[in-house]
Amino acid sequence: MSRAIANETVGISGGREGFSFYRCITNTWFLYCVSLSVFFLVWDRVAAWRIFGDSLAQPLVVLDKLYELTQIRFAGTNLGGHIWASTRRVLIGFSLASAIAVPLGLCMALNRYTNAVVKPVFDLFKPMPPIAWVSISILWFGVGEFSKIFIIAIGTFVPCLLNSYNGVRLVEPELYDVIRVLGGKRKDEIIEVCFPASFPAIFAGLQISLSVAWTCLLAAELMNARDGMGFLIKRGMDTYQPALVLGGMILIALMAWLSSLAITLIERRLCPWKTGIENL
Amino acid sequence: MPEQQAKICVHKLTKRFGELTVLDEISFEIRAGELVAIVGPTGCGKTTFLNTLSKLMPATAGQILIDGEEADPKKHNISYVFQEPTCLPWRTVRDNVAYGMEVKRVPYRERMERTDKIMELVGLSSCAGLYPNQVSASMIQRIAVSRAFAVEPDLLLMDEPYGQLDVKLRYYLEDELMHLWEKLQSTVLFVTHNIEEAVYVAQRILVLSAKPTKVKAEIPVNLPRPRSFLDPAFMEIRREVTELIRWW
Repeated sequence: MSRAIANETVGISGGREGFSFYRCITNTWFLYCVSLSVFFLVWDRVAAWRIFGDSLAQPLVVLDKLYELTQIRFAGTNLGGHIWASTRRVLIGFSLASAIAVPLGLCMALNRYTNAVVKPVFDLFKPMPPIAWVSISILWFGVGEFSKIFIIAIGTFVPCLLNSYNGVRLVEPELYDVIRVLGGKRKDEIIEVCFPASFPAIFAGLQISLSVAWTCLLAAELMNARDGMGFLIKRGMDTYQPALVLGGMILIALMAWLSSLAITLIERRLCPWKTGIENL
Repeated sequence: MPEQQAKICVHKLTKRFGELTVLDEISFEIRAGELVAIVGPTGCGKTTFLNTLSKLMPATAGQILIDGEEADPKKHNISYVFQEPTCLPWRTVRDNVAYGMEVKRVPYRERMERTDKIMELVGLSSCAGLYPNQVSASMIQRIAVSRAFAVEPDLLLMDEPYGQLDVKLRYYLEDELMHLWEKLQSTVLFVTHNIEEAVYVAQRILVLSAKPTKVKAEIPVNLPRPRSFLDPAFMEIRREVTELIRWW
């Protein structure tokens, strides 16, 4: 019996081949390195030959600038302070919005009355780009923290809600039948099937929301801020320091990537059963 | 075999979708522990029949009695092995097998004992901790079958459970089904379009007609087990059933 099982379970197998020059240069990791080196080299040379005049800094100069910012206080705080200021805004806005949007989306999918009440208004706001809210939120709430968090929350809300809503609606109906035949109650259906089945969709929504959140943050900080990574970019532009602008861009990308990675890790923890989609 | 009292009693079961009559006054009985196969021409409403029997769909008219009482999923144990794989992807193999008993509120210890026993019987023990996306299609169907048997059902409905598997695996799983059924003494209604399969597993075969569906014939299969596909008696019954449902 155990052999029959072994035949049918998927194992990990890898072929071993001998060393050859061809295999070496077609190695994916090698090609990754080539790709990145060429990119940075081209960047460095373009900057060094001043093709864009003074407005492109060499990669090492950018790094140097970032290092310098960790040492000095720039506009009241050092680099860590700026990173934290932005991250805090994203975290607050994102958590607030998703804490409301995800349950609301689930409720809408499970209860058609909730759906009928919420959906028309939601559909009205859905197509509006979140950045369109920047100006009105400054008029309403001034230039303080709240208006920035507000914009982030607005931008985060839509994809969160849509995904949790669709996640429930796309559950395979046969899975409900299994419970119904066994005489399960509506509560069993919701807890045993609906919630776990919509998890991957909810997490996909959170991923999208998070990248929207960073976009909104940047928009808000470029408009008006006294700290944060968007502020660094804006200040760099105003004082003509391309190294500072590029540094800010790199930092934002880095933070957006790290936060997305965090969500991926949480998701893997919570749904180890999920079938991954390669290269998505 | 002494005449036992009927466990399942289906009386004039009728299902209409608007003008279209799919099931037309179907009546039959199944004894406790009996394995009955249902065959019929393509599109004769076999799946509708099972959905009505399992109470997933309301019947238009007629009765389904289990032990003399109106069938009710909340009261009776009805299990259903669907044509499509219906494992819950977020549960491990073990938890999937135990899932039916969980819905039925079987106490934890008994649940685990029965799960272990049945997984041993069908050879799932070695992949108890894996998730369904890590095992093969035949394993997934095996999980569904185990889950259905594990609740010790009053009535176990199987809707072409092996229809999508290749021949070799099907033979293997049919034998396994026989093994489970003999061990656990469940009452099984096995729907299939594969006549050979029906003759191989069933004690009795109900042949359905084309729509509107009626029970066209009832053929007892009194062959000793294990049955052989090459046994002349086996081939004779297969020929007989084939004659009954041929539409060409």
